[in-house]
Amino acid sequence: MATLLDVNVVKYLCSCGKWEPLCRLYLCRHCQKLRSGDCVLHEVDSPYCPNCLENMPSSEAKLKKNRCTNCFDCPSCGHTLTTRATSQIVSDAEDPNKSAPKKMYYMACGFCRWTTRDVGISDKSVASGAWEDLENPHSRRIHSLLDFYHQVAQREKADKERKKYVRRRSHLIFAASMDKYGLTSVAAKRKSLLSSVSGISIKENEETNICSLEPVEAVDDFEPLPNNIFTDPLQLEKVSTISQRLASPEFQPAMATDLYPNHKHLLIRHSLRCKECEHNLSKPEFNPLSIKFKIQLIALNHVPEIRFMKPKELPFKKEIKVVLTVCNPATYNTKLQLLPLEEESAVNSNTKLELPKKEIVLAPRDDSAIYDDNSHTQHGIKDDSSVVAFRKANKVGIFIKVTPLQQDEDAKVCFWLKHEYRNTTMALPNENQEPQIVWLQHKVVINLGPPHKTK
Amino acid sequence: MPLFEGLSYTGDKNVVIVDIGAAYTKCGLAGESGPRCIIPSAVKGSVDGKIKKIWEYNTEEELFDNLKDFLFVLYFRHLLVNPKDRRMVVCESLLCPASFRHALAQVLFKHYEVGTVMFSSGHLLSLLTLGSSIGLVMDLGYQEALVVPVYEGIPILKAVQSIPSASKAIHSRIKKMLLETAKVTTETREEKSVSMMPECLTEEILEDIKVRCCFVTKFSRAKLIREITLHGGDSGKLPTPPPGVQYPLDGGKVLHISGEIRERACEVMFEQDNEEVSIVTLILDAILQCPIDMRKELAENIVIIGGTAMLPGMYHRIKEELFDLMKKPKYADNLSLKKFKFHRPPAKENYTSWLGGAMFGALETLPSKSVTRDFYLQTGKLTDWCALDREEVA
Repeated sequence: MATLLDVNVVKYLCSCGKWEPLCRLYLCRHCQKLRSGDCVLHEVDSPYCPNCLENMPSSEAKLKKNRCTNCFDCPSCGHTLTTRATSQIVSDAEDPNKSAPKKMYYMACGFCRWTTRDVGISDKSVASGAWEDLENPHSRRIHSLLDFYHQVAQREKADKERKKYVRRRSHLIFAASMDKYGLTSVAAKRKSLLSSVSGISIKENEETNICSLEPVEAVDDFEPLPNNIFTDPLQLEKVSTISQRLASPEFQPAMATDLYPNHKHLLIRHSLRCKECEHNLSKPEFNPLSIKFKIQLIALNHVPEIRFMKPKELPFKKEIKVVLTVCNPATYNTKLQLLPLEEESAVNSNTKLELPKKEIVLAPRDDSAIYDDNSHTQHGIKDDSSVVAFRKANKVGIFIKVTPLQQDEDAKVCFWLKHEYRNTTMALPNENQEPQIVWLQHKVVINLGPPHKTK
Repeated sequence: MPLFEGLSYTGDKNVVIVDIGAAYTKCGLAGESGPRCIIPSAVKGSVDGKIKKIWEYNTEEELFDNLKDFLFVLYFRHLLVNPKDRRMVVCESLLCPASFRHALAQVLFKHYEVGTVMFSSGHLLSLLTLGSSIGLVMDLGYQEALVVPVYEGIPILKAVQSIPSASKAIHSRIKKMLLETAKVTTETREEKSVSMMPECLTEEILEDIKVRCCFVTKFSRAKLIREITLHGGDSGKLPTPPPGVQYPLDGGKVLHISGEIRERACEVMFEQDNEEVSIVTLILDAILQCPIDMRKELAENIVIIGGTAMLPGMYHRIKEELFDLMKKPKYADNLSLKKFKFHRPPAKENYTSWLGGAMFGALETLPSKSVTRDFYLQTGKLTDWCALDREEVA
């Protein structure tokens, strides 16, 4: 089976126009179309810590900047740090002559042997939660700048509002200035009313409200390079690498002695949504420990999978029989048909192809059947031996006849796969309605490999 | 997405700020003091697993696919936010090619369905971090050094200066010098010259050598070195180079990096070539191009951004070199500047323009300055920074 390991040999055409292997496709049961990873909407479902597997709501994760509070990464190699306990002799507070052992904790990397003691972080008396974070030295300045810009932005917004308002009013004044119909007094009254009531109008003294920003000071003197850089040998291991620096973007420690443990970054579970009908195609369970899905509409569970046996040889311009294996994923009999493409100009096909004309019935999938070697139940299906090569459980082998027409490139076969699909979404379970049976059609391309030269 | 999320958060909380640099991409959320991540601007190919740099593309389809995969990593690995209907601020260089912007807009609007995108120049945004509107902004990035004078918030385009000598040039200089002279001790204690095995000098190794070993030397020493190596002279007078480094390579090999390489690799930015341009002359040339009444203020408000500016000794050297260049007749006759002053933005140089974007992204006026998805889908247009029909956007 050439397709077990190389999934790219048999590809299905996704509704977005991309050829993808079946295992990368989804089937939206509402649109009844194939969807690929590119034409579905990815969504962040639930964040969780990959180390302690604690999950948290996305709003909480946002507050914590998507990092776990308890787990840390080694700043040197990126491995997860583990907490170590040691006992330390601490003198008793009441009796200075007595000393009592006390448990102290530090963190160490099991991979590169980095410890928090290496960089002078003191041991903590509690195992977790006591590791304080560094604070960005510029955060005060940044926040005052932000406040300032907020006010400027607010004024700009208000100015815009006022412009709209002033323009309207000026028309009124223009009309009033003509004073043909004695409108002046009315307009004046309205004007005074508006200015007192209207919340849009800007008071002139607003400008003073903007707190002035401390002006920046430019500097003209810089520290020259220290002289010892020209004489002292460089200790390479004491200088941090660029990936170590970029692991904490706000600090970017240049020396290895300034490395500080980083909180572990969270991961998320995705959910996928069809872009057309906005139904979920895949939704994982909330608990990160669970590998199950609430909704999982992968195409492999609904669309018959095609594999093929690589022919021993593929002579150029000579007809040859190729066996396709079609596998039924559904738990009921599925009728199936292979149809030629209408337009012979299909770009993907460079072979002459003869497909079986009859409908073929696939036996239902039975999970227990794979443990039973002796079961050769035929399901009472009568097969034409010129079409069906073999039949085993829910698989069936079908002969197709291929003649490669191009010598230099891989021989490709392209056809429609038409199969039955029981749409369970439409049927309401309590009404005992029969599930609706629809026929789905997918374009399939198979790469048979390069043809051999005829001897 | 939980239902309440959309209600409890107003739009400005989840504005994504991204600065896709030639080497590294800075990405984070608006209103924060630093980016959430700084990662290489590269994607891993889904088919062959090779690392592909975003900016090295042959066709626009390739760029589209790469950007799509790259933004996926940013959204779902680092930021953990849903892209749909959110706002986005893109910090870009003035020299960013239009094809790149269009590909990015296509990916954002059509594939990720973001609500609005604001494209803004990184040079202007980095001034926001200072709270001033006047500055001579020099970006020392990966591909090029670009100087843009900004006066009262307006970039003076006729004075824009750039040369393609920045980080990448340093890397190739290190490589060249290593290939010429350096030796490698192999596992079997043999000494081989690096030119026998050039494949061990990958871009990552060169970058690591630059970051950990190299520095921008003092001006007095650089002057001597320049005179003797470029114009010929008594090599005995060269200053004693700093000690060399034993740099471990993969598999027990050790690369011997000489002190000369450590000291001289960064000189590539300061050596004036035949046209007498270096990153420092860029500053003076830009000032020269500006109207005479702006020059003093620009010279006293120099801002340097970009990761290359983080090399040790950079600021001191630029300052010294500026004063030395002022003695040249070309500048002495036309400029009467006595002082040069530099700003230190409240950020590391490599994410200064990102921080400016993060400040802008937190403001209420962001929507009026952004391109909305509806506008883009209707017109298929992106207003360029130099376009005159700016009003249309609003």
